[in-house]
Amino acid sequence: MDSSQILSYTTFVYFGAFMAYLLGMVMNRAFLSRLGTYLSLLGIAAQTLAIILRWVESYEMGIGHAPLSNLYESLVFFSWTLMLLYLILEWRTKNRAFGTFVTPLVFLAMAYASFSPNISSQIQPLIPALKSNWLISHVITCFFGYAAFAMSFGVSIMYLLKRLDTAEKDNRFLRLIPSTAILDDLNYQMIVIGFLMLTLGIITGSVWAHSAWGTYWSWDPKETWSLITWLVYAAVIHTRLVRGWKGKKIAILSIVGFSCVLFTYFGVNYLAGLHSYAKK
Amino acid sequence: MKNTQSKNKPNAIWQFLSSVKLTIVLLILLAIVSIVGTVIPQEQGAVEFAKTLSPAMFRFLSTLQLFDMYNAPWFRLLIAFLALNLVVCSINRFPSTWKRFSAKPAPDRSKPFENDSMEDFLEVSVNGDKASKRVEKILRSNYKNVRQKTSDGNHYFYGDKGRFSYFGVYVVHLSVLLILVGGLVGSFFGFEAYVNILEGEKTDRVIIRKTMSPLDLGFEVRCDKFSVDFYKTGAPREFKSNLSFLVNGKAVRKNDLLVNHPVEFGGVTFYQASYGSVAGKEARLRIDKKSNKPVSSEKTVKNNISYPLPGSEGTYQVIDMRNDIMHLGPAVLISIQPKTGEPLEFWVFKNYDAVQKKLPPPMLTSPKFNPEAFSPYRFSLTGLETVYYTGLQANRDPGVPIVWAGCFLMVSGLFMTFFMSHKRVWVRVLTRRTKTRIEVAGTTNKNPVGLQSELHKLISSLKNEFGK
Repeated sequence: MDSSQILSYTTFVYFGAFMAYLLGMVMNRAFLSRLGTYLSLLGIAAQTLAIILRWVESYEMGIGHAPLSNLYESLVFFSWTLMLLYLILEWRTKNRAFGTFVTPLVFLAMAYASFSPNISSQIQPLIPALKSNWLISHVITCFFGYAAFAMSFGVSIMYLLKRLDTAEKDNRFLRLIPSTAILDDLNYQMIVIGFLMLTLGIITGSVWAHSAWGTYWSWDPKETWSLITWLVYAAVIHTRLVRGWKGKKIAILSIVGFSCVLFTYFGVNYLAGLHSYAKK
Repeated sequence: MKNTQSKNKPNAIWQFLSSVKLTIVLLILLAIVSIVGTVIPQEQGAVEFAKTLSPAMFRFLSTLQLFDMYNAPWFRLLIAFLALNLVVCSINRFPSTWKRFSAKPAPDRSKPFENDSMEDFLEVSVNGDKASKRVEKILRSNYKNVRQKTSDGNHYFYGDKGRFSYFGVYVVHLSVLLILVGGLVGSFFGFEAYVNILEGEKTDRVIIRKTMSPLDLGFEVRCDKFSVDFYKTGAPREFKSNLSFLVNGKAVRKNDLLVNHPVEFGGVTFYQASYGSVAGKEARLRIDKKSNKPVSSEKTVKNNISYPLPGSEGTYQVIDMRNDIMHLGPAVLISIQPKTGEPLEFWVFKNYDAVQKKLPPPMLTSPKFNPEAFSPYRFSLTGLETVYYTGLQANRDPGVPIVWAGCFLMVSGLFMTFFMSHKRVWVRVLTRRTKTRIEVAGTTNKNPVGLQSELHKLISSLKNEFGK
C-alpha cells in the first residue's frame, strides 16, 4: 500500500469524523461526538504515517525531498496542520462542538487533493529553484498560518450561529456551541497566531526568493495576494486593539480574511506567476 | 513637542493623520488596489494583454498607470501616506505609553488584593522582618523594579516584569518603516541586471533589466564550465557554472554558482538564473554528388572557412550556424562560390525530414531551404557543435540588510505585542499576633490566564522558601 492510497482512506475517515461530530451535536449524543474524536485521532495517525511514507518513497525513487512541493502535497499538509490545531483546541477547551465546524474543512481539503482530476498525486522531482531549506520553513509557516485562519473562520461561523441562540428558542444544537465570549476570544487568538505565522511565511518566502532569483519581492500574484491577506488581517487586528471592535464585526471580518486566504491558495493559480509549480 | 500642542489646540491635519480610522481605510484601500495589479498583467505580461484591448480601454488603463501599477507614483504615494499615518500615530500615542511604562505604583496599594482568591496567601511562623527579607530576595531574583515600603510593622512590596511589551507595537511600526526604507534604498542605489555568458568566454558588462542598457562591472566574469544534469523525465535536476572573476585580466577568485546559492563579487551578487545552448564553431557536413559515378564525402568544417567542392566546381563555406532556427532545430547557412555563375546561399537543416513536414509548401520549394539548390550536389548536416551559455542574474541591492533587519524586528515586535504582557505583582507581609501572613496579588494589561500562572509560580516559590 503506498502513501497516496492511505491518504485517500484518510479522507473517508475524516468524513466519518465530521459526520460523527455533526450527528453527535444534532442528536445530542455524547458518544457520537466522542466517536468523532476517535476517528479524528485515527485519521491524523494514518495521515502522519502516510506523509512520512511519502517522504521515504521519494528517496526510494532517487528524487528525495520533503513532501511539501506541489498542490497535492500542500493540501495534504494543510489538512494535517488544521486537524492538529483542532485536536489541540479540543483537548484544551474540552469542547467537541468545534469539530462540527472545523473537520468539514479538513475533509474538503483531503477530498480535493485525492479526487480532483486536475491534481496529480504522483511524487514529482524538484526543479532546482525549489531545492532549498527555505522551502520547508516557508511551507510550514504559511500552512500553520492558513490553518489558524481556517480555525478562526470556523469559530466565526459558530459565533454567528450562536447569536441566534435564545433562551426561549431552546435549540439543542445551538446550546452546545460555547458562549459568544469564549468564541470571540478564541477567534482573536487564532487571528493573532495566523497573522504571526503568515508574517513568518512571507518573510521566509522572501529570503528564499532572494537567494533563488535575487529579489525578495517581485509583486508576483501569489506574493501580492499574501500581502493583501496580511493587510486585511492587519486591519482586523487594528480594529480590535485600537478601536475595540468585538464579536459580530470581527467574525465577519475574519470570514472576509479567510476568503483572501482561499484566493491566495487557490484563486491565484488562475493568474500567471512564479508559483506555477504549486498548481499541479 | 507637537503632540502636546495638538492636545491643547487640536490641529485638524494632525488629528486626521493620527486617526486609526485612517490606518484601517488605508490598509483596506491598499489591499483593494493591489488586487487590480494581480488581475491586470504587469510590465512584460502587459504587452500581450494590451493587444487584446480596445484602444480606448488601453488609453484608460495606461493613463492610470495600471500596467506598471506597483511602481506607479500614486501607488507609492498611498504607501507613503500609510507610513506617515503610522509615524504620526506612534508619536501621538507615545506619551501615554511612556507613562504606563515608567509608572511606579505604590507598594502598599490595596486595590489589587480586593478580588483576591483565597489561595493566594500563606502563613509562616517566622517573624515579619525576617520573613520580609526572604520575600524580598525571591522578588528581586524574579522581578524588576522591586520596591518596598514598611509601615506599622507590615512590609509591602511591588515588582513587575514585561514592561517592555508596551513597546512591541512601536517595534512593529518601526519594522514596517525599515522595510519600506530598505525598498527605497534598493530602488535608488541598486540595480537588477542579467547577462548570458558562453562556456569558456568572459564579459565585463551586464544589461540592466529596467532600461535594457549595458552596465560596466569594473571586473570580468568568465564561465569556465557549465554543466547540467537531468532527471529521467528530462527536467533539469541541477545546473551550475564554474565562474572566475578577473580583475585587470587576472583571475582573483573562482566560484561554483548553483541555483539557490548566489555568489558575491565586487559588490554585485550573481545568481544562477537560466541556461541555454547555441551553435559553436564547427559543423559536420555530408556532401553527395549525383552523377554516373556518385561521390560522397563527410567532413568537419569550421565557420567562415572556404573548402573546395568534391568535384572542383567551386568552393563552399558555412557562414552561419544556428542551434535552433524557427523552432525547426539545428541548421547551417551554406554559401557556394561556383567557378561559373552566381554565388548561392541556402540553409541546410539537421532534421530535414521533420522540416519537410512542418514547413509550408511555398517555402519548401524556395531555393533558400533546398539542400539540393546547387545541383547536382546535396548537402546534409550530420552534426553541429553546441556550446552552453549560462544565464546569470547580477544584482546590487544595498537595501537588503535593512529589509532583513526590518523583518527580524517585525517578528520580534509581533511576539512582544501578542505574547508578552506587563505583569505587576504586589506582596504584603503582615505581622499577626502569632504568625506572619504573606499575601500575593497582581494585575496585567492583557493575558489574565498568564497572570494566574505567574502568581501560582510566585506562591509556590514562597512556599518552597518557607518550607511549606
